[in-house]
Amino acid sequence: MSKVKNLFNARWMSSLIFLLALFLITGIADPSFLKYSSIISCFNSATMYTLLAVGIAFVIMTGEIDVSIGATLGITAAMTGMIAQQGGSVISMLAACIATGAAVGLVNGTGVAYFGVPSLIFTLGTNSVIRGLIYILTDGRTIENFGGVIASYGNKTIAAEITVYYAIAVVLVVIAHYVLTKTRKGKYFIAVGDNAGGANLVGISVLGTKILAYVLCGMFAGLGGFVFASKYGQVMTVAGNGYEMTAIAACVIGGISLSGGLGNMVGAAIGAVIMSSISRLLVFIGLPATYNNTITGVMLIVIVVADSLAQRRSIEMARRKRLLSRTAENPEGGEKA
Amino acid sequence: MKNLLKKVFKHWELFLVIFLILEFVIFGAANPKFLRPKSIMNSIVNYISVCIISLFVTLVMITGGIDIQAPSIIGLTSIIIGVLWSDAGMNVWVATLIAVVVAALCGALSGFFIAYCGVQPMVVTLGGSFLYSGLALLVSGFSATPAYKGISGFPGKNEAGEFISFRFLGKGTLFGIPMQIVIYIALIILCIWILHKTKYGEKLYLIGVNQQAAEYSGINTRATIMSTYVLSAVSAALAGTLLTANVNSAKYNLGSGYTLAIITAIVLGGTLNTGGKGSILGTVLASLIICILRYGLPLCFDVDTQNLDLPVGIVLVLVVLGREIAGQGILQKWFKKKKV
Repeated sequence: MSKVKNLFNARWMSSLIFLLALFLITGIADPSFLKYSSIISCFNSATMYTLLAVGIAFVIMTGEIDVSIGATLGITAAMTGMIAQQGGSVISMLAACIATGAAVGLVNGTGVAYFGVPSLIFTLGTNSVIRGLIYILTDGRTIENFGGVIASYGNKTIAAEITVYYAIAVVLVVIAHYVLTKTRKGKYFIAVGDNAGGANLVGISVLGTKILAYVLCGMFAGLGGFVFASKYGQVMTVAGNGYEMTAIAACVIGGISLSGGLGNMVGAAIGAVIMSSISRLLVFIGLPATYNNTITGVMLIVIVVADSLAQRRSIEMARRKRLLSRTAENPEGGEKA
Repeated sequence: MKNLLKKVFKHWELFLVIFLILEFVIFGAANPKFLRPKSIMNSIVNYISVCIISLFVTLVMITGGIDIQAPSIIGLTSIIIGVLWSDAGMNVWVATLIAVVVAALCGALSGFFIAYCGVQPMVVTLGGSFLYSGLALLVSGFSATPAYKGISGFPGKNEAGEFISFRFLGKGTLFGIPMQIVIYIALIILCIWILHKTKYGEKLYLIGVNQQAAEYSGINTRATIMSTYVLSAVSAALAGTLLTANVNSAKYNLGSGYTLAIITAIVLGGTLNTGGKGSILGTVLASLIICILRYGLPLCFDVDTQNLDLPVGIVLVLVVLGREIAGQGILQKWFKKKKV
């Protein structure tokens, strides 16, 4: 058991070390980067991806995937903008975002868990549907010029240059991490992802857990949409396009296995910071922004290949150890083990 | 009635054919202009990249993998052809050949990580899509033309105004049929032959059903899996070449945004994303259905061309839900509950 725990620790620790190494390399290339304000701005700019990555982490942990979160972010951002244009309150915006996200999640969860449609296919479909709904909702126009409190919230800091939104995101990450690791219901997510049949046998509702994961994912994406609208002050019809891939990449970098049952929320949050700060770091290193995608791609591939090789090696070592101890203790046969 | 429904859903291709015919009937009745063969063929030409790539990604999906990097290879091929031809002064056909080889190498690289290092296909090709689209942007930096403009002016018009040479691929016609569709038909036949008539095709199915068993039965599963990614990358390169020749412009971001369209066409065609099941015919029919839907809806029902995601998404969701409901007998379960 302690071995498993160590592995979990190692998985998110390695992404943290990777992030620190990235900061250090950038610092060597340009010492002016190593200031509190420029490092904290890397974290602040990761708010949206943190929310998306934490949300989708629930789904990925149960062994499914959700590619509709980019569209969910887009439609909730558009809703926020439209409510703001009509002078609605922040509470009503948040309620609309979270309710919409939860509704999308409920549809996804029902399709995937109840009807058994492969998750990639179903969420691909809902992705297109929501993109279409955004278009109908906004009439194909960009939502902009919404005044009021929401526009001023975007860059408001709470203390020590940390924006309000990032602080809230961090609190949510901590809560999600606590729920996943310390509560009984939270552990169900990992259990279902690790072995759905086994989880079912011990009395865990696979159906309920998966639907809950999708609903949570949608709600986080809805919050992401609120932050998007507040931060950029304008919402185009293509808002959030491709964000789902970045969020998935963030989870993978944070050590969450796409086959489910492995990983934790802190890793996802760190992965989100890595994904969103690459472009910022490149500026300091002195490379043009055109290198952004290339470096992201190389990094992602190197990390997952290294992770996979290391895992294969550790499995092989464990097997060898088991064999050796068996033959040493009991030369005649392996009955004792 | 219920049995009939079940039968139709079981023979997926039959269902797709019925769906396609229904589309023609409804759209044709709504607007007779719809049935002009030239416009129909043009609509297929507009969607040819998705049609071609989905053929070969079907092979990948049958082995249980997935390939979301192919669209980024369209842009990479296009910009390599453009830069080698316009800035390095090469013959356009040599440039195309080099671009196809580069694409094959890209596919081999991703395939290697997937097959030999055991990384999940989705993750590797996600990384690949970042990497190759990034490389395309870097290559466009070698050109004197600004990246957003695109390199244009490819050779291929004689004095009579007919398309020849490179642009013949994109704009030419053969017996009145656009060259792109001729190539598409040839590729369909090639794919059906590969998948349903050769040993290689049988191996793909076996790997998709059970990779371990395939390995034990003497199939070199790793090399086979890797080869499917090379094939899909080469098909993407081909699509990139055709697209470049058609729009007469080499750009680094051609084809971006096709990822989900390709996967939609394949899964609508009945291929399982867990592997082991699927057919080329299904993929072809499904891509034609989407293509006709995208062409017919704006023409006959005044749907905004910007908003074609919605109907395609609805069709996808309803169809896969219907398939699951019919296949698992969920309807029967509901009826039984009511009786009790």
